[in-house]
Amino acid sequence: MIEVESLTKRYGSTLAVDDLSFTVAPGTVTGFLGPNGAGKSTTLRALLGLVHPTAGRTAVLGLPYAELAGVAHRVGAVLETFDAHPGRSGRNHLRVLATAGGIATSRVDELLELVELTGAARRRAKGYSLGMRQRLGLAAALLGDPEVLVLDEPANGLDPQGIRWLRDLLRSLAAEGRTVLLSSHVLAEIAQTVDEVVIIHRGRLVRQATMAEVEAMAAGEARVRTPEPARLAEALACSGVLSHAIGDGALGVAAPPERVGEVASANRIVLHELTTARATLEEVFLSLTDSDAGENSAQ
Amino acid sequence: MTALVAAELLKFRTTRTAIGVLLAALGLVAVAAAGTVGTAEDNALGTSQLTQDTVSSALFASLVAFIVGILSVTVEWRHGTVTRTFLVTPRRVRILLAKEIWIAIFSAALAMVGLLLVLAIAVPWLELRGSSLVLDRDAASLAGRTVLATMLWGALGVGVGAVVQSQTPALVGAILWILLAEVLIGALLGLVDLEGVADYLPGRALSAFDGTIEDDGLTRGVAGVVGLAWVLGLGALGWLRMSRQDVT
Repeated sequence: MIEVESLTKRYGSTLAVDDLSFTVAPGTVTGFLGPNGAGKSTTLRALLGLVHPTAGRTAVLGLPYAELAGVAHRVGAVLETFDAHPGRSGRNHLRVLATAGGIATSRVDELLELVELTGAARRRAKGYSLGMRQRLGLAAALLGDPEVLVLDEPANGLDPQGIRWLRDLLRSLAAEGRTVLLSSHVLAEIAQTVDEVVIIHRGRLVRQATMAEVEAMAAGEARVRTPEPARLAEALACSGVLSHAIGDGALGVAAPPERVGEVASANRIVLHELTTARATLEEVFLSLTDSDAGENSAQ
Repeated sequence: MTALVAAELLKFRTTRTAIGVLLAALGLVAVAAAGTVGTAEDNALGTSQLTQDTVSSALFASLVAFIVGILSVTVEWRHGTVTRTFLVTPRRVRILLAKEIWIAIFSAALAMVGLLLVLAIAVPWLELRGSSLVLDRDAASLAGRTVLATMLWGALGVGVGAVVQSQTPALVGAILWILLAEVLIGALLGLVDLEGVADYLPGRALSAFDGTIEDDGLTRGVAGVVGLAWVLGLGALGWLRMSRQDVT
């Protein structure tokens, strides 16, 4: 369980996080989304005891991070910054962490095998590619076989196979009852991985929803594809139903599929596709954070 | 705490800095010992003073311990490893304590190796010149103070590193402070008849304790206590800074 309660963090005159509250339940993978500068990293760092809140509190497994006993076995984390000494080998980096965390060093080789770094384990970390650094970070996070994982952009630098491996790993960890919170800017990837999303904007919560709820945000609309889109649009308009072209001969219709089917049938119009429209995570994300996205693109 | 101290040792062992530091320490001690024995006048051979001068060559280990102490903390900020260190050990005071304990052990070992190296150079060399060291109570006392002083210098370095955190300013600032600032402060205080106050500065106090400075300032016992107070004071300041800061 992860709890963020009325968290506020101010750096001088900059308000990075503003009265943010959400919880993440065990056994789920939760995506933590927001535009650049929304306060995601600050929130995750506050959760991990690296940043002191101006107000509010955070807790992992019921306690502030700093008060967790045997923390390496309770929480694993990957943050955006590379945190290994460049002159130390990947294996020795993990050995240092295992020693400090009271973890058997045999676990180091297991993790190196798991993240497919065994071949590069004795090379100095400064020679690692971005993907290898990310895998080393994941190995460090998993070293203590933790109950909770907090991952900031864990897919950065991973190739498609690596991303798929990570997705399967996170799903399997959640299936074991662990809690996973991850931030990512790759929304398509997040959509395939998470059960829930927490979307923040300018440091404030704008929506916490399950993926089913995200998809249902376009409920009541239909998507229809036909070789005669103009004729169908006219027939729908005559029946008092609004529609709009969405490309490739398809129309988005502000009515349930049943109503669209009835109008098409009455007008003897051939249909190639008729489905309930589902909102994508990207559409929902952009609609909820639109003003911020505009500001970013203007910069 | 044992695990954290062991992790600090592993951190030191697993970078190339360790080899460089050890070679530098032993090289300085060896050159100083060889210089002292090699340039000794015939009439100085067999005297207690020559033995004292020779044994004190091992004090170069304290300079290296001081630098290693600074590096052991500042390297965490220089390479960003402090994030992972704080994640694994969220109670930051434990990190600082582990570093202080580790540097004390390391410094003691370094000083003892330095003393053995001095003996390994001086004993056969003096034998060739038909003489020997005077290994009396004074020599044993100096050897003991060399070990203790090296431990204090190392611990002082950890405190400096924890307060400053940025590596280059910490190293350059600390060396300038010891070599220039303390001398300058002493001279300025002398102008107003307060030169005795300068004896309480960290470098002067530790040098009085280990015997590098021999004047009518602080007694060795008081100098040791003053040095220890600086170690504790800087450690406390470093802890205050570390415990309140955000790692972004």
